[in-house]
Amino acid sequence: MSWSNVRLTLAREIRDQLRDRRTMFMIVVLPILLYPLLGVAIVQVSQLAEEAPTRVLIVGRASVPDDPPLVEGHRFVEGLFSPPERARLLELAFAPLDQPAAVAGPADPRLQAGLAVQYGQYDAALYFPSDFRKRLDEFHQALRRGATGLEVPRPVFIYTTATEKSQRAFARLVDVWQRWNDRFRRANLAALDLPESIFAPIEPETIDVAEATGHSGAAIWSKVLPVLLLMWALTGAFYPAVDLCAGEKERGTLETLLSSPAERSEIVLGKLLTIMLFSGLTALLNVVSMGTLGWVVLSKLPGFGPVPLAGAAWMAIALVPASALFSALCLGIAAFARSTKEGQYYLMPLLLGTIPLAVLPAVSGMELNLGNSLIPVMGMVLILRAALEGNYAEALLFLPPVAAVTLGACLLAIRWAVAQFNCESVLFRESERLDVRLWLRHLVRDRRPTPTAAAAAWCGIVILLVRFFAGVVMPVPGDFRGFAVTVLATQVALIAGPALLMGFLLTRSPRQTLLLRWPPWLAPLAAAALAVALHPAVKVLQAGVFRLYPLGEEVQGAMRGLDAVLSAAPFWAVAAILALTPAICEELAFRGFILSGFRQGGATWRAIVLSAIFFGLTHSILQQSLVAAAVGVVIGYLAVRTESIVPAMVFHFVHNTLAATAVSVSRYVTDRWPALECLLRPGTEDGQVFRWPAVLAGGLAAVAILAWFHRLPRTSEIAQ
Amino acid sequence: MIHVRGLTKHFADLQRGSLVALDRISFDAAPGQIYGLLGPNGAGKTTALRVLSTLLKPTAGTVTVNGFDVTTQSSQVRRQIGFMSANTAVYDRMTAWEMVEYFGRLHGLAAEPLRQRMEHVFDRLQMNEIRDLLGAKMSTGMKQKVSVARAIVHDPPVVILDEATAGLDVLVARALLQTVAELREQGKCVVFSTHIMREVEKLCDRVAIIHRGAMLAEGTLAELRERYQENDLEELFFQLISRHEETRSGQAA
Repeated sequence: MSWSNVRLTLAREIRDQLRDRRTMFMIVVLPILLYPLLGVAIVQVSQLAEEAPTRVLIVGRASVPDDPPLVEGHRFVEGLFSPPERARLLELAFAPLDQPAAVAGPADPRLQAGLAVQYGQYDAALYFPSDFRKRLDEFHQALRRGATGLEVPRPVFIYTTATEKSQRAFARLVDVWQRWNDRFRRANLAALDLPESIFAPIEPETIDVAEATGHSGAAIWSKVLPVLLLMWALTGAFYPAVDLCAGEKERGTLETLLSSPAERSEIVLGKLLTIMLFSGLTALLNVVSMGTLGWVVLSKLPGFGPVPLAGAAWMAIALVPASALFSALCLGIAAFARSTKEGQYYLMPLLLGTIPLAVLPAVSGMELNLGNSLIPVMGMVLILRAALEGNYAEALLFLPPVAAVTLGACLLAIRWAVAQFNCESVLFRESERLDVRLWLRHLVRDRRPTPTAAAAAWCGIVILLVRFFAGVVMPVPGDFRGFAVTVLATQVALIAGPALLMGFLLTRSPRQTLLLRWPPWLAPLAAAALAVALHPAVKVLQAGVFRLYPLGEEVQGAMRGLDAVLSAAPFWAVAAILALTPAICEELAFRGFILSGFRQGGATWRAIVLSAIFFGLTHSILQQSLVAAAVGVVIGYLAVRTESIVPAMVFHFVHNTLAATAVSVSRYVTDRWPALECLLRPGTEDGQVFRWPAVLAGGLAAVAILAWFHRLPRTSEIAQ
Repeated sequence: MIHVRGLTKHFADLQRGSLVALDRISFDAAPGQIYGLLGPNGAGKTTALRVLSTLLKPTAGTVTVNGFDVTTQSSQVRRQIGFMSANTAVYDRMTAWEMVEYFGRLHGLAAEPLRQRMEHVFDRLQMNEIRDLLGAKMSTGMKQKVSVARAIVHDPPVVILDEATAGLDVLVARALLQTVAELREQGKCVVFSTHIMREVEKLCDRVAIIHRGAMLAEGTLAELRERYQENDLEELFFQLISRHEETRSGQAA
């Protein structure tokens, strides 16, 4: 790596970007000029909207109470407003009970008033029944007599939630009515010669401890600023990435640059650092500008304080990995595009995918824990929220996992970006007209013995989508028969079906694609032994995942229902449905078609991991997906080492059988041989039936078996 | 200096399946020689030059540039060459001086020797008037000059020029061809692709006629004229192309 070339590329790209009006608009004009102007405009407009009067129809003026007075002339009494000038904001119109507003419809004045509001003639209406005043007088007289259990007459507020103006009129009416109620209550107390204090509410004293730490009113910042920072870091990376990659391709300068002595990795790093710089600057300036503006505008509101300085420092530090991550992702995606326009389209899904990860923790009250901290972007938002709230100890505690995940994602993204620059089919892709017929003809005509990586990805996506929609549409089975039919239909039609269909249509050798060949004779036995040996470790992993990401009540309920259904069925039937069927169908799809497709590029481990990820994702519960993906890596390794689907199927079958029967089998074993309780602990609530010696012994045995598979000569080598 | 043996390049093509862009091409180019690749559009000239400049990897065959293999020693190859692509692309937001300086620095030239070399190149190519002009404001001729300048600023032993005169007016094209001729006199090995017969006749020491990825003829102009008993290069070119097309049609039938 020549750092001189990286520095040169970086300097050139920075100079280039600084001369680009779009970039300068994003990082300078937008935050420094536009936001303040927008803020001023918003304040002005909101004032206009706030001060606009609303029209209220009062039906039954004759029944409006005089004591305490509510209406004076054509307005509500000024004393019912704070400040009194706000009385002008409610413009009143009056309609007698026998002759309301001129709206065609029913004769009932209350319904007439409703129609008047509905059609926008008035923003709200206040309806007094004809006997309101009479009943109020009766109430007063009864009160003076000392009667109890009195009923107070009630007016009717009519408004519509369909319009914002009507809701504003309603809020003002409620405000007026509450003040009138206060007066009404005080007058009643006076009539009874009682002190007002007997109805005085007990107001507790409040202490905001945040005032002592300088985090007063930081809650709102902790929700808003991390999201803003990350979204601007992404947006800031977006345009430079498109310009530096797709733009350079479009202008034709990339070819000359790539023929210079600079290595592709040096060019990528130079471009990446440029994008990072502009991403960071964009985020920093936009957040500072929006934050300052927000503080100026909102600082007068209660519970709103300045941004804590230490929290701001955390954000500045977090900006570096955030910019690096988004810049590398944008660079990789933009390198794939042929033009700036295409680049913008390709980057849009990244933006859409990041928004929920950034916004969910802010709006859902999600807690910062180990599980959440391991989710890219989300962990960073949560850790920044904790820092802004002043919970530094908590933020520091989860800093290592967040940093590790962000760094890992960042390195993967950089590696991918470099790979894109090394791929000549990406760099020199010519424009092709989108023609479905041509494309389908190409798929069939140019078939290879095994599928392409793109076909494998499509197969995985098709399986995921049909599984998802089928899961939404299919009814939840109530008995084992229904459960068996659902599983069989899903596995055969939705998982094995697409893979087999694509295998026969898109490849010249379905046999080679689906690894339909016999492995060395000992391999299936070794795969079965590996599944048994690895099972305790898988259970430990599963328990860990469930601790990190606890199952929701609904999922737990569904799983209990499933357990009840399965426990009533015979063992052989459970094994056939839960173990044999997935072992055949899922292996044909994931270790057959998908793994073969991803192996086309030659990167075996990448193919194993990608097929395992798709395998994991087909399990509808997230926690199961994580464990299944880990197990999928082991099964993929067996398939690659033996070049056969058989050991993978055997492992899958044994693994699933053990998973379905572990608790009952361990109970049976320990009942017959109590000495084995040093290894097994049946009947536990969490389903964890293995003790640590069993886990360790199983793990060692699994390592030995995997080593045996590793030494196994490949089928191709045997043929040679 | 340049040795090409059995160079083959295939591309995946949606319409035609696998497209053979180059089919077992072989030629040698020596120092102090201008080697011309002559062929119609889509013949495979640009693909061949992209392989020489390590932008594309050959599907089969071997290519060495100044003793370095383009597949296994690509970064050493790139230090030996100055490449000018066919698209006359320059950076819109950089001046002529900045662009040439950038490529000189990438080739490892120190500041002062680079400045002296740039002064020389700018003088030679009469570029001093456009020194501070941004790429976006340059005419095609100006861009072409900048492309030549950045290809030769580091004084490479091999210069690869892809359709260098495409889209240029007569005056600029003539000046550029003069520069190419001077490079030969300086002992450079120049590989020059074109579809203009006059340029080949005027400039090239050896020429390869390429069509649909196949090399139809190769040699000095005198050798080709003698071999095919045709003095007019244009006529010779058409004869070879027609014969190749007839052979292809016969094979297809």
